Amino acid sequence: MNKIAPRQLYFFLACIAPLGKLVLLPTQLAHYSANDLLFPAAINFLLQAGIVFLIMLLARSNKTFYDLLVNTFGKIVGKILICIFAAFLFFISFLPILEQKLLVQSVFYDTLPSVVAFSSFFLFSAYLCAKPASVLGRTWDILGPLAIAGMVGILVFALPVTDFGALAPVGVTGAKSIFFSTAYTLNWFYDSAILLLLVGRFEYKKGMAWKSVVFYLIGAAAILFFLAVFYGVYEGLAVRQIFSFSKIGKYNSGVTVLGRIDYLFVFALTLGMAFYCALPVQLGVGCLVDTFGADKCKPALFSVGINLVIFILSILLDYQFAAINTTVNEKLWFLPPVFCVLVPILALLLRRKPRERKVR
Amino acid sequence: MKEKFAKFVKTLPMKIYIILAAVFIFTFFSNDFGLVDIQKTAVILAAGLDRTDEGYHLTAQIAVPKGSDRNSCGTASIDIEGDGKTVSDCITQIYGKTGWVPKLIFCNLLLIGEDTAKSEDIFDGLDFFLRNEYMQDSCFIAACEGTAKDMLTTVSAIDDTTSQSIEKIFSDAAVKAGTTVKSTLKDFAVSYYGKSKSGYMPFVRSIDQNCGADSGGGSGSSASGSGGGSESGGSSQGEEQKKIYYANETALFSEGKMVALLTPEETFAFTLLQGNVFAGTMTAEEDGKPVTLSILSDEGKVSLSVKNKPKVTMSLRTKIRLFNRGVPAPIDDVSKSEISDAVEANATERLTQYMTDLWQTCLDSGCDLFLLNRNLYRSSPKKYAEWKETLLTSADLEIKVKIDKVK
Amino acid sequence: MYNFLLTLHTFFMKNITGKLKDDAEALKGLLPAQDILSFGFESEKGLKFQVLFADAVTDKELLADEVIRPLQSYEGGKTAQEMGAAVICPEVRTEKGLEKLSEEILAGNPVLLWEGADEGLIVGTKKVFVRSIAEPPTDVVIKGPREGFIEDVKINTSLVRRRLKTPNLKIEMITLGKQSQTVVALCYVEGTSVEKTVKEVKEKLQKIDIDFIPDSSYLTHYLAQRPYSLMKQVGTTEKPDIFCAKIAEGRVGLLVDGSPIALTLPYLLVEDFQASEDYYVPSYRATFTRLLRLFALIVAIYLPAFYISAQLFKLQLFPIKLLITISGAIQDIPLSPSLEMLLVLLVLEVLNEASIRMPKYVGMALSVVGALVLGETAVSAGFVSTPAIIIIAFSGIGLYAVPNLIEQTSVIRLAMLIVAGSIGTYGIILLTAFILLYLVTTENYGVPLAAPFSPIVGRDLRDTFVKYNLGSLETRPKTLGSKNKRRLKRHE
Repeated sequence: MNKIAPRQLYFFLACIAPLGKLVLLPTQLAHYSANDLLFPAAINFLLQAGIVFLIMLLARSNKTFYDLLVNTFGKIVGKILICIFAAFLFFISFLPILEQKLLVQSVFYDTLPSVVAFSSFFLFSAYLCAKPASVLGRTWDILGPLAIAGMVGILVFALPVTDFGALAPVGVTGAKSIFFSTAYTLNWFYDSAILLLLVGRFEYKKGMAWKSVVFYLIGAAAILFFLAVFYGVYEGLAVRQIFSFSKIGKYNSGVTVLGRIDYLFVFALTLGMAFYCALPVQLGVGCLVDTFGADKCKPALFSVGINLVIFILSILLDYQFAAINTTVNEKLWFLPPVFCVLVPILALLLRRKPRERKVR
Repeated sequence: MKEKFAKFVKTLPMKIYIILAAVFIFTFFSNDFGLVDIQKTAVILAAGLDRTDEGYHLTAQIAVPKGSDRNSCGTASIDIEGDGKTVSDCITQIYGKTGWVPKLIFCNLLLIGEDTAKSEDIFDGLDFFLRNEYMQDSCFIAACEGTAKDMLTTVSAIDDTTSQSIEKIFSDAAVKAGTTVKSTLKDFAVSYYGKSKSGYMPFVRSIDQNCGADSGGGSGSSASGSGGGSESGGSSQGEEQKKIYYANETALFSEGKMVALLTPEETFAFTLLQGNVFAGTMTAEEDGKPVTLSILSDEGKVSLSVKNKPKVTMSLRTKIRLFNRGVPAPIDDVSKSEISDAVEANATERLTQYMTDLWQTCLDSGCDLFLLNRNLYRSSPKKYAEWKETLLTSADLEIKVKIDKVK
Repeated sequence: MYNFLLTLHTFFMKNITGKLKDDAEALKGLLPAQDILSFGFESEKGLKFQVLFADAVTDKELLADEVIRPLQSYEGGKTAQEMGAAVICPEVRTEKGLEKLSEEILAGNPVLLWEGADEGLIVGTKKVFVRSIAEPPTDVVIKGPREGFIEDVKINTSLVRRRLKTPNLKIEMITLGKQSQTVVALCYVEGTSVEKTVKEVKEKLQKIDIDFIPDSSYLTHYLAQRPYSLMKQVGTTEKPDIFCAKIAEGRVGLLVDGSPIALTLPYLLVEDFQASEDYYVPSYRATFTRLLRLFALIVAIYLPAFYISAQLFKLQLFPIKLLITISGAIQDIPLSPSLEMLLVLLVLEVLNEASIRMPKYVGMALSVVGALVLGETAVSAGFVSTPAIIIIAFSGIGLYAVPNLIEQTSVIRLAMLIVAGSIGTYGIILLTAFILLYLVTTENYGVPLAAPFSPIVGRDLRDTFVKYNLGSLETRPKTLGSKNKRRLKRHE
């Protein structure tokens, strides 16, 4: 399989990375900062964009993150560090997977389905995670346009009923609220961690750094626009509109005649989300493969094992989502900045000239 | 041993696929995970909410298919009622009575009884519908004359299902004619939870089919003094009289309670100010004779400015055409359809009067129908804090009406 | 004893000895079948000849006119070259080995032996019974050529030669199958086809060890990089114009003797959405029909699944009026929606299979049975509902919008149905994700199956579901990797 092409990477940054922010993030932002929800989101996006730029500078070496760690710290320390990073990826993937589970239960079923309904996601995830990261580029070529179509579709349906005046008055919630809102929603902005692990899987070309930032900001703009529409549709009700992207299109008068055709766009977005949710797990498995080798079906074993653990946890913690959400977002809010901001900066600053190693 | 393991590993994916296929086929045939049995599902088309001494009385209008024979197909319905301390208790009772699983996902009309709307904040009843993830908040919401139960259990002259007949009067065509307003649960809730804490919904009445000619039911000019009389005479005993429904009045709500009812003329003025009228009619006078004008388009706006004192400006600009004279006219007049200055002046005067009456009703009831508090908050939170208690009462009103005549 | 020794001697003979009787007996010994005949004659000068031939596949008239008659007045030498020059037949070869000579006899080429011969003479007077060139039933067009390949590889290669009159067209004959000795023609355009692909295909063909090859489909198992894959990995066509167009684009083609289906490599999934007629009609029409095929295929695969998942898991997918109609239609149907749909689908598949296999005289009666009894009467009796019949009928027809993918799409449709009936709409989405992942990770001969969509190859998208006009298709598909990029000059 070839390396990830620049175009495919741009598709990821502009179209796939934003998908994870459509599920619960709008409601969380509305809860923390009401009509000023655009500010915390914009701050987080800009921060991530900056880190994306730094990571792309790191990518000029065309070596993977694991190679860079090994070259800088030695083999043993490098393996330990990559395992820690993998653990972070598994941790960061848990909440989006739970969100996805709740989304599926709410949107795809009329009443609460059994555990079997979502368990099939883990079958798919186990299959996907056993594949090398280089397959991702090809999937993004298809998912990118689908995500664009899905997003455009639901926004077109929602725009006629949007009152953008609901975003006024700007700044009324105050800087403190915006600050806490920014901090408590950091958990959704881990795209830089993903990009860090994609380094070395694509061939760096001149100008990729700023182009990546541009495409990331395009995706960010789409999400900000969505947030504006979301708040313009729901205003004071925004705090309880979970999975808003699946509902926001139903107020259009065309829907009353034809039925819920907006679901076609929702399905397109959900298809992309299935890949996006599994992405951190896949990259985490890749880290384990880098550490322990790829012989004797180890990728498949790691993939099945990790997915099984997450599946079991998702069942055990089925009714604890609110507690987990609060714990992860409000108590462990500092973890994403460490791994998604600090680590890439340190990687750029501390790296040494890499030794030769075969990329998987 | 190594070779055996290698062979096992090589054939493992195929074995896994076979096991998975077997599992899926088992779940498929067992149908244990099918959540919906369409034959045991009660598809609720509309719900009527009335308050009782013990709590609530919910009337659910459930769709009943007529069968696959094309000659007899259509949507019949039955009405099931439930009582309880809360709305969900009522639903549970319906579940228990019928053995069907009530599905609110298709509920497209929420009807609130008149007394229920007037007595207390209706959001204690609407709470269930707002919380329920499987209830559409895009459903129409309306208040009705009498109890919601009585309204839903009438027999419609237009459709087999009463709720479908009622929903027809909230169509986009009716709104464009300016004869009615429409409101959804989401819109109503947004305005309730907003700064203005006010909202509106159409007020539904029913009249007997036979009496439809001399009252202002359904389409037609609401401004021609056709009033909302719903009393009907002459309905035959022993046979349920078929009803037709109309909603040319608007119920105003403040803090969840119904505080006023707009007359048809005031409703018309309200729709004009919302800028929604594209096919409305209004009747003016010329030399004591009625002249009906067609409203082709309208630009309506209610703006608020606060300098030393709040000032509300109602601006209306419409394009009108002569639609119908109440007296015989020469052929020249029929072909040219010119609107005289006198008619224009009369129309302007009438529209101004409607808007004045509308504002007065809002003032008397305390309903911030035009969401002035919300708009003030959006433009200036500071001024909002200063004026929020007295905005309506202390605001000066200016009405500007401009009519463009179209030949 | 002498006869025993003679038999033993002929048994161990490998080559022509020059002794006519021994040589003839040895050759006859290798071919003991009764349809292998032997005819002896003498020239005017007294030179003895023996012709051995297979009765059914030899044109005896041609043999007599071109070989026997000229040799009856033969006065030349005894070498095979001189003998070959004496006969009138244009296709003459010489061979020393008895094994090879026996193979030629079985292939329909008579062998001439004579007293003092150094080699045997193989004459090409084969008589092959083939059907006439006609329009292939699997690819019918309104506009465009109507020729189709037949079972004879030589005629098929002539059809290719007729269209590609370039010396760069290489046709290499390879014989496969120990018992069938099937001739396989490997066709490619030198300088256009990717050398690596040609080499790889040749290597794979040479590794085939099989007794009998009745059809080209046997080769696809060996040529595919994932033999057990659900998706096709080798393109097929019955039309010479399509075959030539494909190899002119840079592919490698294979014609197999005994099969009218030609193979092309590498294969792209989008090929099966392209009909030959698309290139003979205006581009807007071609675009419309391709999009229609895609739409029909998607609806055919997904409609039954969504119908089931909506009924069982998410009623909201139906508009309310449709829901009421469906609810009325399925009242008192004894089966669950998923079983009902599966039953109707199975009936459709059985009807489909039977209609292909049944004798045509019975066809009409059974069509009535299928339509009336299984359709109308089953609904009236309340076994199945009308919506199920309509959906499966449309699905069945829709799949045939892309007939080359029928095997794959019918399996996918069934899988979608099972998943939808088990876990609902999310199952459909996950299965779609799985198939998508499978498609994008499948490659054959270095060419991704899902190209030019994944990876996106901009220029190649001009001839996929949207077809640009001919002038815009200047370059060959970049996906195929041909070095000869330009195929036409843009018309100014």
